[in-house]
Amino acid sequence: MTLRLGRHEFTDDATLMMAIVNRTPDSFYDKGATWAEDAAFERVRTVVEQGAEIVDIGGIKAAPGAEIGPAEEKERVVDLVARVRSTYPGLVISVDTWRAEVADAVCAAGADVLNDAWGGADPELVDVAAQHDAAIVCTHTGGVTPRTRPYRIEYDDVVAAAIADTVGYAERALAAGVAKESIVIDPAHDFGKNTFHSLELTRRVGEMVDTGWPVLVSLSNKDFVGETLDLPVGERLTGTLAATAVCALAGARIYRVHEVVETRQTVDMVWSIAGRRPPRRAIRGIQ
Amino acid sequence: MIALVPGVLALLPEYASIEDPVPDLRAACLDAVAALGPRVRVLGTGSGERVGRHLVETAGAEVVDAGESGVLVVANGSAKRTEKAPGHLDERAEAFDETLRELLVGPDPAGLAAIDAELGAELWADVGGLVALGDLLAPGQAVDVTYDAAPFGVQYWVIRWSPDAVPSDA
Repeated sequence: MTLRLGRHEFTDDATLMMAIVNRTPDSFYDKGATWAEDAAFERVRTVVEQGAEIVDIGGIKAAPGAEIGPAEEKERVVDLVARVRSTYPGLVISVDTWRAEVADAVCAAGADVLNDAWGGADPELVDVAAQHDAAIVCTHTGGVTPRTRPYRIEYDDVVAAAIADTVGYAERALAAGVAKESIVIDPAHDFGKNTFHSLELTRRVGEMVDTGWPVLVSLSNKDFVGETLDLPVGERLTGTLAATAVCALAGARIYRVHEVVETRQTVDMVWSIAGRRPPRRAIRGIQ
Repeated sequence: MIALVPGVLALLPEYASIEDPVPDLRAACLDAVAALGPRVRVLGTGSGERVGRHLVETAGAEVVDAGESGVLVVANGSAKRTEKAPGHLDERAEAFDETLRELLVGPDPAGLAAIDAELGAELWADVGGLVALGDLLAPGQAVDVTYDAAPFGVQYWVIRWSPDAVPSDA
């Protein structure tokens, strides 16, 4: 099935880099480096040059912190979305929000994808996606409240739970009128999950691919990588790329990333190993 | 109508890249094969014959054993032309290929029939099809060389011979 993200269509064998753009003063990885709108826009320019097909603009960090209301969230992201839309018409713009009110405003400003990292906490989000013919990312959080950390959450089978919740969410989006080719599922590593859960989801991500819905993975520099290797933020790229390779071999389609170039190379290499992508330019031994 | 192309495996679909590493060669091969008509006999050895069959089919023609409208010979010069060539540099390779070129462009059927096959093997040249080519050509036939290069240390030619003799005053 062709994947359609708002204004943009992609073939079945395409893999996509979704570059993270934080319009926040306090996100864990960049610690506010792109908080100013111009800095965030500069980050967009950089990742476009690096080949990202999608930017994922977020106005609120995932971890707990100061309350940011919908009005302030919109102030942070709507103008940036409009500016990116007019500068880069060929770029897919995703906005990381769980709020229908914010989603409505960013879609009006030109967003193509609603990346709901919090698993449908706002039930009206799917209606907004349908109204704007936008794509939606359906994540699994185990039902936690947005911006909370996992605490003693356990699952009988975390992968079965992730599949049940994301597919259920996808079907809800479909029933609300979101186009079938515009629905993506995401197991949401570390959201409502401890490190053991995220490792198991990585190991068994092929079961999510087997649902037939395109799978997005968000692995970049996360705590499950950090805890597995006992490394701080800033030293997790190798671990991130190892997890990326496992997900690519299983057939995940979209990669939400901080490092576009390294992830693109990893995914291309694995996609070719899997026999889904020819080499870029091979002549050795076949001259 | 007779044509010569090299047995480059990169021309086969199973070895396709995202970016074609041999676009000019491929275009020259397909042009040459297109001129051979609807029924083409392929002369080549091993994988070279496979390459020839693929090119004929890509051109929309049929591979036949007899009653052909054209003949496609698959052969090439030495694969030891440079230090980075598949067979590394052999100082004899360039002269060997130069001799081959003269025989092909002549054309010199007797010379082609007498190619030093042993030296050809030492130089990793695929010349098995050229002996038969000698039987098909006549001295003074019109020749059109559309590709002549060794881009990866292997000497390739794409050559067409038309049935018409070159006028003696040409």
